[in-house]
Amino acid sequence: MIAALGRILILGSLLAAAAGALLGFASARTRSFDGLRWARRMAYVYAALIMGAALLMEYALLTHDFSVAYVAQVGSRSVPVWVTIVSLWSSLEGSLLFWGFVLGAYIAIAVWFTRGLYAEYQPAAIGVWLSCATFFSFLLAGPANPFGTVVNPPLDGPGPNPLLQNHALMAVHPPFLYLGYVGMTIPFGFACAALMKGKLGHDILKPLRESLLLPWVFQSMAIMLGGWWAYEVLGWGGYWAWDPVENASLLPWLTATAALHSLMVVERRGILKGWTVTLIQATFLLVILGTFMTRSGVFNSVHSFTQSAIGPTLLVFLAAALLFTVALLSFRIDRLESEGRIEGVATREAMFVINNLVFVLLTFTVLIGTVFPLIVEAVSGKQMSVGRPYFDSMVVPAGVALLFILGIGPALPWGRSTREQMRKALLPPLIGAALLVAIGLLAGVRNAWTLVTLAFGGYAAWVTIVQIGRGHILRGRRRFASYIVHAAVIVVLIAVAVSSSMRETTELHFTSGQTQRASGYDVKFLGVFQQQEAHRSSLIGRFSVSRDGKEVTLLEPRMNQYEMMREPIGTPDVYTTARGDFYMSLSNIDPATQTASITVYSSPLIVWIWIAVIVMALGALFGLRPKKVVAVRDAKAAVPVGSAPEPA
Amino acid sequence: MNRTVLTIGVIITAIIVGLLFLGLGKNPNEIRSPLIGRPAPSFALREAGTGRTVDVAQFRGKPVVINFWATWCGPCWEEHPVLVAGARRHPEVQFVGVVFQDTEDKILGFLEQRGVSYPTVVDDRGKTAIAYGVAGVPETFFLDANGAIVAKYSGPLNAADLEQELRKGVR
Repeated sequence: MIAALGRILILGSLLAAAAGALLGFASARTRSFDGLRWARRMAYVYAALIMGAALLMEYALLTHDFSVAYVAQVGSRSVPVWVTIVSLWSSLEGSLLFWGFVLGAYIAIAVWFTRGLYAEYQPAAIGVWLSCATFFSFLLAGPANPFGTVVNPPLDGPGPNPLLQNHALMAVHPPFLYLGYVGMTIPFGFACAALMKGKLGHDILKPLRESLLLPWVFQSMAIMLGGWWAYEVLGWGGYWAWDPVENASLLPWLTATAALHSLMVVERRGILKGWTVTLIQATFLLVILGTFMTRSGVFNSVHSFTQSAIGPTLLVFLAAALLFTVALLSFRIDRLESEGRIEGVATREAMFVINNLVFVLLTFTVLIGTVFPLIVEAVSGKQMSVGRPYFDSMVVPAGVALLFILGIGPALPWGRSTREQMRKALLPPLIGAALLVAIGLLAGVRNAWTLVTLAFGGYAAWVTIVQIGRGHILRGRRRFASYIVHAAVIVVLIAVAVSSSMRETTELHFTSGQTQRASGYDVKFLGVFQQQEAHRSSLIGRFSVSRDGKEVTLLEPRMNQYEMMREPIGTPDVYTTARGDFYMSLSNIDPATQTASITVYSSPLIVWIWIAVIVMALGALFGLRPKKVVAVRDAKAAVPVGSAPEPA
Repeated sequence: MNRTVLTIGVIITAIIVGLLFLGLGKNPNEIRSPLIGRPAPSFALREAGTGRTVDVAQFRGKPVVINFWATWCGPCWEEHPVLVAGARRHPEVQFVGVVFQDTEDKILGFLEQRGVSYPTVVDDRGKTAIAYGVAGVPETFFLDANGAIVAKYSGPLNAADLEQELRKGVR
């Protein structure tokens, strides 16, 4: 019953999306107002149907309706309710259904917010959005149908992958990632519409920027949450391993970040239009590439779904989207005329260009590192992987370069400036650089890259703080927000550099009651305990951690044995302070002899990475102003390009 | 039309799509085990239900399919009918199921409900699974008539993949 209803909803969403896409493109050609109105209606119908289908699946999961194939595959009566809810995106079919849900929501919101506006661009944009929607509904209707029927429904199912049950962060990382990934469809639609129109006017910049910024915020959070989850769960003391699928989430983030910056140059100077549009389109294409990586099984990774049935279909979609983009760009890019030019190297716009080049270089570096194993295998037939050393050696200098521009860029004025102005702008921040390096040296930093990071970070921090001090929080809201984001980025980069270069690793073996020292803490082993839960049993090592004779915390790293898995999954335990983390992971535990072996990682400043990314996301959200205020402001500030005031 | 953009775009598209297409051709479930090409580890285990000992060496002379599974594993339920049908279709190949981390009554209940066409043995302490380097269930090993491992397949087999892997063993 539910399965049949679900099928109907999905087929309906496929029809609505296809019809709406055709109507959108047709009315872009004919400029038919009725056509646009119907395209908009179809977009709402699509959204309602696909979101309905996802909610229906959620209902089936919660009521343990094992006659629905997807529920039989990932459902279980023995797991907690939150695990049942997140099961929606724990496996291939459900995750695509969730994709549809998010896409439906985004399209409905975008169509609603652009009603009566941007009439030149809207029909084609709706056409592009609904074309993507058509593809994903097609996947759900055919190759990845979640609403299959089970003839003899089992009484209970296996439940989702135990790794997903191991930590609550797993409930939030995937949704944020989808909100980021899927959201990139909207700016892609606007960018395509601008190209089809052969025009990137000032009017379209606002929806372009906002529709890019929102998913960018989610994407930033998703990357951080993924790293945080890995850190809290996987037990190797790190948060980023350059796994192909991690890279897949980073790639569109890099191009989106570049596009957010080049959009500002378009706004202020009327240049880099074609480049900006290309970046936005590349962002979406990288999203589809990333989806292919997780869903096709071509790449081996903790993230991979096992089935590969939809791989070819996704590849066809990726190829079609690439060709469509390339054709559109090559036929129309020359029509996006420049309205100005860059007036020298020591200008802010030049710094934007350099920033963009570094971001694109980073994108290519990561992309090549990710697909290199495929190249090698295609050529020599050998399986291999590109490890940390490649990425670290390429990405660290690029990151440091970005930090440098982050300081210099905002210090420089737009357009040409006098020598005196430059001196005033560029010299004082050196105090910040010297200050932070001095603090670093006192705290024991000796690594050269880390010291360089501190120097550039101090410089950039000085510039950023001065800029924040200058702006009025509410009047210069966008400006204020962007400097908050910059400040957070500086903190992230410094925390990453310091925590990774100053990490201490200690391996210890304990018998019950024994005390040993690690990284300035006294660790006492209190023994092995066992715990039984419905879906897992755990062996827990209990350790008392004290400093200078005073107990500061009790750590309980554990080994979880899930019913459905042969190998136990270790869960580390972390004592977090503002100064650094004391991270404990079990490598061996024996309840019979009451012994345990642990690895202790002591890394400074880790917690600031998570905090700063949250601040970054909140800062960026603060810059997304409510619509009403914007409309009034934009009407007032109708100044010609090039002479516009500092963006407020 | 901007020819530079077109050329660069087409080259990038061709490289990416071409590489991914080549990647698609391979099956990620087909794992390259270091055991491939080596003699299969021997085992003699108790058959579920009958209690008699089944020794893998007794099948020497015909290709053997060893399937590691358990009743608590969802994908194994999915795979089971494929194996049962495969064993009926290929009497020249000996199929053996190895169950670990499970109880005999659950295994028998499962087989009674879902049918069986080949012996199922119980790997009580998981020693055989360890010898074969099984990382998770289901996992299937294909042996040729000389008892050497010719392929390893991780995850639930479908009928097409089963046929393809069988050809390697019969060859």
